[in-house]
Amino acid sequence: MGESGGIKKGLAEILELPKDIILDLPKIIMIGNLQIYVENHKGILEYTDNRIRINTKSGILCIMGKNLMLKNIVIEEIIIVGEINQVEFID
Amino acid sequence: MLVLKLWNYIRGYVVIRVQGLTLEKFINMCTVRNIYLWDVKRVGNTVLEAKIGIKGFKDLRKIVKKLGCKVSIRKKQGYPFWIYKLKKRKMLLIGAFFCFLLLIFISTFIFSIEIAGNENVETAEIVYKLNTLGLKPGTNRYFINLRKLENQLLLDMNRLAWVGIEIKGVKAKIEVVEKIAPPSRIDKNTPCNVVAKKNGVIEKIIARNGDAVVEKGDIVKKGDILISGIVQLEPIGGSMLVHSYGDVYAKTYYEATKSKGLTEIKKEKTGQKLVKRILSLGSIELSLNKGKVPYEFYIIEKKSKRPLQWRKIGLPVELITEEYYEVNKIKITIDEMEAKNYVHKRALDDILEEIPFEAEILNTQVDFVAKDGVLYGKVTVEVLENIAEQRILQIGED
Repeated sequence: MGESGGIKKGLAEILELPKDIILDLPKIIMIGNLQIYVENHKGILEYTDNRIRINTKSGILCIMGKNLMLKNIVIEEIIIVGEINQVEFID
Repeated sequence: MLVLKLWNYIRGYVVIRVQGLTLEKFINMCTVRNIYLWDVKRVGNTVLEAKIGIKGFKDLRKIVKKLGCKVSIRKKQGYPFWIYKLKKRKMLLIGAFFCFLLLIFISTFIFSIEIAGNENVETAEIVYKLNTLGLKPGTNRYFINLRKLENQLLLDMNRLAWVGIEIKGVKAKIEVVEKIAPPSRIDKNTPCNVVAKKNGVIEKIIARNGDAVVEKGDIVKKGDILISGIVQLEPIGGSMLVHSYGDVYAKTYYEATKSKGLTEIKKEKTGQKLVKRILSLGSIELSLNKGKVPYEFYIIEKKSKRPLQWRKIGLPVELITEEYYEVNKIKITIDEMEAKNYVHKRALDDILEEIPFEAEILNTQVDFVAKDGVLYGKVTVEVLENIAEQRILQIGED
């Protein structure tokens, strides 16, 4: 993140601003293991039936599961449906 | 999400199949270029299926060129494609349009005539009259003037007091009200007698015109002259014919006899029952159970079911369930007081129906006689009523 990232983080904490906007971090929402919603992504790195890797500011988000499907994909958000088993950040 | 689906359908979309090695890059480039992709599915290692809007599909060309992947259309879906197909088959559209028009046109004709409210006037007579006036099955509803028809029907059939014609869909509903004939009136200048309407004992005579020929206490029979229209002119010795009228009050008697057996056979269910099912197809009845009813005395209860019924239309299939309940006959002696009350009430009901509304009840008398186990009750009601009735004087008879 570097120095500016640290300042920003501190600022966000002091002013109680949402961190996903200030720090440009992904916001991930899961509904059970059926659906995962990733906001603020930086593109798809890999997409197969049982593994999806998404580039984000905090590293590569790796989603493992079965019958994964990209329900929706636009510049800011991705919605993935299917049977999700594992969500993991890889640096 | 239904709204979204509907929106997509209206806008139109295609299901595409992308074949290539860098499919992730393809997706990323789509997102960067603001091409909306949804329901992206990985079919194989190098194959991907996705849905895309029509406009997005057109923009796809540049990406395809850059990446060198193959894109093929698998399905076209949505309203714009549907319109496109329809444009190719213009005749179909025209046919559907004319079919619809024809349907509307046909529904302006009257298919059936329904008549309600007539009791004495024959339905066929009214229908015949309507047919001659121009309302019959096959007439267009816009070619007849209902109000005019109503008036004409009223004029032509003087037994009707009111006619209302209403057209509901393809059905003409005609409601009629019949005239109730007024009592025949005798013209004021016609000479007449006042005669008795009923048998009775005269109580009071008020002769407003004419000569009273009976007195209080006289017993008169039906048809007897009460007030004569022939007035004797004493000094001259001649007579004059007048239109006599007046009120004659007389005591009249109404009688009714009713009977009731003092023993009664009552049927009591024993609890045994037999169910028979009958399938009825139109007029054919098929019994689904065999055998006779094994009981000596029984009560039948019928229930019927009509499957596949919608409003009044349906298949002429009926499933009838007959339940035979075994019964025992038990003799019951009825309390005499109860029987008397019953007989009295029934007899009185009968009498009260006969007594005119204006009459005054003076006295009632009840006699009971029990004979051979049957109770006979005779109820006599004495009433005071006006028995005057005018009748035209037949000249030449006297």
